[in-house]
Amino acid sequence: MNSESLYQFSTLTVILLLVAFYGGTYLMTLGIRKKNEDADAFMVSNHRVGFGMGAASMTATWIWAASFYAAATSGYTYGVSGPIHYGLWGALMILFIYPFGRRFRKLAPDAHTLGELIHARHGSSSQLILALSNVLGSVISLMVNFTAAGALVSVLSPLSFQAGVIIAGAGVLLYTLWSGFRASVMTDFAQLVALMAIAIVIIPAVFFAMGGPSELVAGLDNLSVEQASFFSMDAILNQGAPFFVAVLAYAIGNQTISQRLFAVNEAHIKPTFLTATVGYGAIVIGLGMIGLMALTLGVQPIDGDMNNLIPQMVSGYLPPLFIALFFVLVIGALSSTADSDLSALSAIMMADVYGKNIARGKADPKRMLLVGRLTMIVATVVGIVFASFSLDILVMLVFVGALWGAIVFPVIASCFWDRVTNQAFTTSVLVAMVLFCLARFELLPLSGASGLFFELLASIGGGVIIGLMVFGFLGRTAGFIAAALALVAMLVFATGFLRDYTVLLASLTAYGASTLVCVAMSLMSRQPAFDFDTIRERVGDYDTQAETPRAHGGEASPASASLATPR
Amino acid sequence: MTALYGFYVLIWPALTLGVLVVIIRAVMRDRRKAKEEHRDLV
Repeated sequence: MNSESLYQFSTLTVILLLVAFYGGTYLMTLGIRKKNEDADAFMVSNHRVGFGMGAASMTATWIWAASFYAAATSGYTYGVSGPIHYGLWGALMILFIYPFGRRFRKLAPDAHTLGELIHARHGSSSQLILALSNVLGSVISLMVNFTAAGALVSVLSPLSFQAGVIIAGAGVLLYTLWSGFRASVMTDFAQLVALMAIAIVIIPAVFFAMGGPSELVAGLDNLSVEQASFFSMDAILNQGAPFFVAVLAYAIGNQTISQRLFAVNEAHIKPTFLTATVGYGAIVIGLGMIGLMALTLGVQPIDGDMNNLIPQMVSGYLPPLFIALFFVLVIGALSSTADSDLSALSAIMMADVYGKNIARGKADPKRMLLVGRLTMIVATVVGIVFASFSLDILVMLVFVGALWGAIVFPVIASCFWDRVTNQAFTTSVLVAMVLFCLARFELLPLSGASGLFFELLASIGGGVIIGLMVFGFLGRTAGFIAAALALVAMLVFATGFLRDYTVLLASLTAYGASTLVCVAMSLMSRQPAFDFDTIRERVGDYDTQAETPRAHGGEASPASASLATPR
Repeated sequence: MTALYGFYVLIWPALTLGVLVVIIRAVMRDRRKAKEEHRDLV
């Protein structure tokens, strides 16, 4: 869709910008390229990525093209508090994973995916559920980012939507294919520096070009009471609460995060994730402010499309150079996320599918690399096809969101509680998915007894979310107390009320149901308590195993012994 | 009120700048260390 109201680049200019971006990124990866990459480095580098590179990579990965558009839309729709209710919760997804991430890393220091850890803990069925949720998430993310590229190119130039999708897909694949995760981390740094530098310039530039603080305050009269309030209930219930519920689900269900947890130097996990939290929040909330500015000025999005808001504001108030910078900003954001998704997908296929379920402990690192690279090519093609045909992915999105919510408790509990069983994990996720669908698609009436039933489950889900968040930072006792208080509060305030918010009710139901089933089945199980030390022995590096049967540090050979033993 | 809203909008690019400086300095330190230890940065 080309719009005459926005500034238009010539075809040549856009092609030159894209060639400069992807060509420069590709050249950068040549500096780290090795003729014979090893499989472990292809998935998680050397497990010793420094604080700076790690923080840059985490921030760049978490900021995708939709972050800008959605934050601006939130600012435009909900007013003063809108950008906060988008950016803050997105940032907390990074923050809340690191206490659990440190536990994951302690249990399996040489892992490449969270699925490997779960495989060592439970076996294939639980691992494959997790891997499936990761794959679906990354494919959706790829598609959304390629779609954003197509939309941007078609809005700002005569080039077609499909051309933008294909150029972005090919460009990202070009620089990620050979070195995998190493290339992703390396280029994330450069992309983030560009992205931050542009955001630092563009936000104040638009702000002062539109008239500065006095114009913004004068425009507040155009806002409704809810939009003008920093404590808008409308914004909290419709934007903040669903995001808050998703905080842990996104963090656990996303392999791009786990991959960085396993790649960063163990001692630097905390500063890395704290810095990424602040970095993500600052950039995304800042760009969301452009939506608030548009609202106060009474700007109407072209063709009613909210995604046009930022380009419209940049186009309307700044010279063409800034529009080119904005173009690079979005291409950088979507590419850094897309290359991370390709790396995540390849690691899942290499480690979770090939390493654990096909080779069964006798993985050939060269074949693993081939699997990883083929995965990247197939995933790029799938992403391009899905994006080009603008397929409706709403059902897939709903399904993945539910799956991520359903696995949060079983995954976390499996890493801390020695009684959780494979059967409890798998059954709890399946039951939670069924109940989620019943509520989400209103297959059962959400009134009377069944409405109350789902509200009770959702209240438990609310308690679980708060309890896990507090547990992550303050420990078990504080977690239990917080969960109990949240459960009581939910029972008091949500009963008879939550059924009107189907999305929220269904999401919370997934958490509550999986927790109930997982806890009940684990308590009833007669299996002996699990020895967590065995996870370290079962998850190891693949290249080390291929080169020598000796373990790290010359101790008894945990990694290689386990990899050579089919389980 | 005007100053407060000005601060509310401009604090985010300022924070972004702060994080950018922290990250660049850390990467330079990582790079130096990697060179000293004769290993790759990533």
